[in-house]
Amino acid sequence: MQLGEGRRSPSLRGRLTQAVCAVLAAQAGVVGASAAAGVADPATTSGAGDDVPNWQFDAAGLVYGEAGRAKVVEPNARITRLFGNGARIGATLGLDLVTGASPTGGIASTEIHTTTSASGRVKTDAVGIVPTNQFQDHRASFDLEWTQPYTRWLTTSFGSHVSREKDYRSLGGTGKVSFAFMRGLLTLNLGGGYDSDEVEPTGGFRVPLSDGTVLEDGTVRAKHSKTALLGVSRVLSRRWLVGLDFTRMAEDGYLTEPYKVLSVVDPETGDPVGELTESRPSTRLRYDVLASSVYHFDTDILYASERFYWDDWGIVSTTTDLKYRHDLYDDRYIEPHIRFYAQSKADFFHYSLVQGEELPAFASADGRLGSLRTVSLGATYGFHLPDRPGEWAVRAEYMSQWGDGHPSDAIGNQQNVDLAPPVSIGSVVVAYSLRF
Amino acid sequence: MSSDTNPRRRCFSALGGPCEVLVDSEDAEVVEAAFEVARAEADRIERKFSRYRSDSVVHAINSSGGRPTQVDDETAMLLDYAATCHELSDGLFDITSGVLRRAWTFDGSRSLPSEEEIRSVLRHVGWKKARWSAPIFTLPDGMEIDLGGIGKEYAVDRAALLVSKVIDAPFVVNFGGDLFANAPRRGGMAWGIGIEDPDHPGEAVLYRVDLMSGGLATSGTARRFVRDGRRRLGHILDPRSGRPVEGAPQSITVLAPTCLEAGTLATLAHLRGAGAKTFLEGEGVQFVVDG
Amino acid sequence: MKSPRARHCRLLILLLPLTFLGGCATMDVQPWDRDLLAEEAMSFSPEPMITAIDNHIYFSKEGSTGGQEVGGGGCGCN
Repeated sequence: MQLGEGRRSPSLRGRLTQAVCAVLAAQAGVVGASAAAGVADPATTSGAGDDVPNWQFDAAGLVYGEAGRAKVVEPNARITRLFGNGARIGATLGLDLVTGASPTGGIASTEIHTTTSASGRVKTDAVGIVPTNQFQDHRASFDLEWTQPYTRWLTTSFGSHVSREKDYRSLGGTGKVSFAFMRGLLTLNLGGGYDSDEVEPTGGFRVPLSDGTVLEDGTVRAKHSKTALLGVSRVLSRRWLVGLDFTRMAEDGYLTEPYKVLSVVDPETGDPVGELTESRPSTRLRYDVLASSVYHFDTDILYASERFYWDDWGIVSTTTDLKYRHDLYDDRYIEPHIRFYAQSKADFFHYSLVQGEELPAFASADGRLGSLRTVSLGATYGFHLPDRPGEWAVRAEYMSQWGDGHPSDAIGNQQNVDLAPPVSIGSVVVAYSLRF
Repeated sequence: MSSDTNPRRRCFSALGGPCEVLVDSEDAEVVEAAFEVARAEADRIERKFSRYRSDSVVHAINSSGGRPTQVDDETAMLLDYAATCHELSDGLFDITSGVLRRAWTFDGSRSLPSEEEIRSVLRHVGWKKARWSAPIFTLPDGMEIDLGGIGKEYAVDRAALLVSKVIDAPFVVNFGGDLFANAPRRGGMAWGIGIEDPDHPGEAVLYRVDLMSGGLATSGTARRFVRDGRRRLGHILDPRSGRPVEGAPQSITVLAPTCLEAGTLATLAHLRGAGAKTFLEGEGVQFVVDG
Repeated sequence: MKSPRARHCRLLILLLPLTFLGGCATMDVQPWDRDLLAEEAMSFSPEPMITAIDNHIYFSKEGSTGGQEVGGGGCGCN
C-alpha cells in the first residue's frame, strides 16, 4: 500500500472538475452546505428514446476522361433528412459537364479521304483514325427520394427525377415496396419506374438511313421507358448476404441516336464513300438478372455480383463485378475493384453499309451496340480527416474497352485497320459524407 | 466500514451491489428520510441508465439500430461528461468499450481471446464513431455504450445532493464502495473508510482512509480478471488496443470533492497502467494505490 | 429477340429464387448475431453516390442496363 498526495493541479484536473460540475449542476449543494435552490432537477426531465430527425449530406465529384475523346466533370450533392423511425427524404442535385469528341459511327479509313457527312458538312479524316464529332453539353438533374417504413416488415420508397440537357429532357418516377420476412432475414422487393423523355436534336430529325439533308417534321420526339423490378435478398449467415434481382425494361419512342451515322463503303476496297444516318427500332425490351453476394470475413468484406442481360435488339451481355474491402487501421479501408463486361452485337449493328446493296430497315454503327468487352480496374480508399467530421472516399478507376476490330465480313482495306480500336478511360471520384 | 457504533445505518441493494446510507444522528426519522431519498435516487438512476434494463435510456441508445436518438438533459450532461473524459484521456476513457467484454470474459479463467476476436470486436468500439451533438446521439449499429463507469459515482453525488436537502445531519452515501460524505461526523471526527482486499472481497480490510468530507471512489481489479499464464489481467481494457491495461495497480482509491470526480480520476489513473501513480501525483490528487 | 439463350435464361430466373427460399430454410441468424450484418459496409451498395456515378459511366459506354434500381436514369447519353 502506498499513500500519496500529489503536488499541483494542472489542466486535466481542472477541466475534469469543470466537467463534474457541469454534470452535477448543483455542486454547491453537494460539496458545500448551502442549499441548491433553483437548480433544475434532472430527475424530472423526460426520458430518452424519442425519434428525431437528423441530416446527412453527401457529395461526390467525378472527373472522367477518355483518351483523345470526351472529358466529363460531374459534381453531385445530396441532402437527406433522416427520421428516427427510419424514414428518409433526400434531394440530389447533379451537374454533368461534357466536352470533347464522340465517334460519329463512321469507320476509320486507310487513306485520307473527304466525305460529305450526313449533316451536310464536308470533312476530312486522317488515316486509321475513327471519325469523331466535337461536342459540348451540360446536363442538370434533380432527384427526390422518399423512403418510409411502416412496420418492421413493410417499407416503401418513392422517387422522382427531372433532368435537362441541351437536346434531351427527362421526367420520371419510381416506386418500390419492400417486404421483410423471417425477422428480416428475407426481403422481397417489388418496384416499378416510368420515364418520359424528350429528344430535341440540334438541327432537327434527319430522315433515317439518308444522307441527312432531308429533315422530318417536328423538333421534339418522345421516348418512354417502363421498368419493373422483382428482387429478393437473403441473410444466409452472420457473415453472408445474397440477393437476386430481375428487371424488365420496356422502351418505346425515338431510340435512335440523332447524330450518329454509318459509313457507306465501296464493295471492293471497303473504303468509305459516304455516310448515312442511323436507324433503330422504336421499341426495345430489355431484361437482366443480377445475382449479388456480400461476404464478411473477420474484418474484410468481399462484394461479388454477376449480371446477365439480354434484349430484343439481340444484345446479350454478362458482367462480373468484384470488390474486396480491406480494413486498415483507424476506420480506413482500401477497396480494389475489378469488373469484366462482355456483350454480343445488336442484330442491326454494322460497321458500314455497302454501296449498291439494298438498305436494311435498321442499321447502326454505334460501338455500344457492337460486340464489346470492357475491363475495369480500380480502387477506393476510404478515410476520415483527423478531428474533422465526415467520411471521405476516393475512388480511381481505369477502364479499357475494345470491340471486334477485325470482323470476318470486313471488306477490302477494312481488313487492314482496327475497326473498333481500344478506348481507354480514366476516372476519379471523390465522395464525402457527413451526418449532422 | 463504520468506525464506531454511533452512525445509524440503513442498507439496500441497487446499482449492482450493496448500498448504504450512514447518518450521524439519533433521530430515526432523519435516518429513514435519508434512506428513502437515497434509495429512490439510486433506483431511478439504475432504471434510467442500466444497460440491462429494457426501459433504460442506455438500452434505447444501444438498440437504436444506428438511428439517431434524442436524449434528455440529464443524459446529455452525462454524454458531455463522457466526451470530455474521452478527450482528456486521449481516448483511453471510452463508454463504448464495454463490448470488449464480448472478447474478454472476466471470470478468472484462462480463456484468452484471439487477435482476430479482439480486432473483430474493436470494430464496434470507439467514441468517435458515435455522433454526439446535444440532444441527438447517434450510435452506429452494433455498438453499445455503458455508463457503468460513471453512473454509480454520479448516483452517489445525486443521492447525496437530494439527501442534503432533507436532512441537516452529517451523512455518508455509499454505493458499492463509491461514496460521498457531506460533512465530518459530530465532534469533527472523520469517517473511517475501509478499502477491501481485491483478492479477498468481502473479507479483509486492506487499509483504512479517514474521510472528513467529499467523495471517495475505488477502481480495482478485484473480482473480475482473466489469467494469462502467471499474469492476472484486470478488467480495465484499453479501448485502443482492445487488451487489458498492463502494469496497473490492483486497486486505486481517490479522494476528491465529489464522488464522480474521484471515480473518474481513479479510472483514468487505472487506464494508464504502470503510469497510474505518476499520473495521480502529477494531477495533485489525494489517492491510495495497492499492488 | 427470342434467342434460345434468352429462353434458357428465363428458366434460370424461375429456378434461382426457389433454391433461395427453400434451400436455406433451416438457416437462421439470431438478432444478437447480426453485429457484422449491421455494419454499414455490409450492403450491396455501401457507397450509393459512387455506385450511381459508376453505373452512369457504364451505361453511357455499354449497351446494357439493369441492376437493383428501377428507372432509366434519364440521360441522353445512350
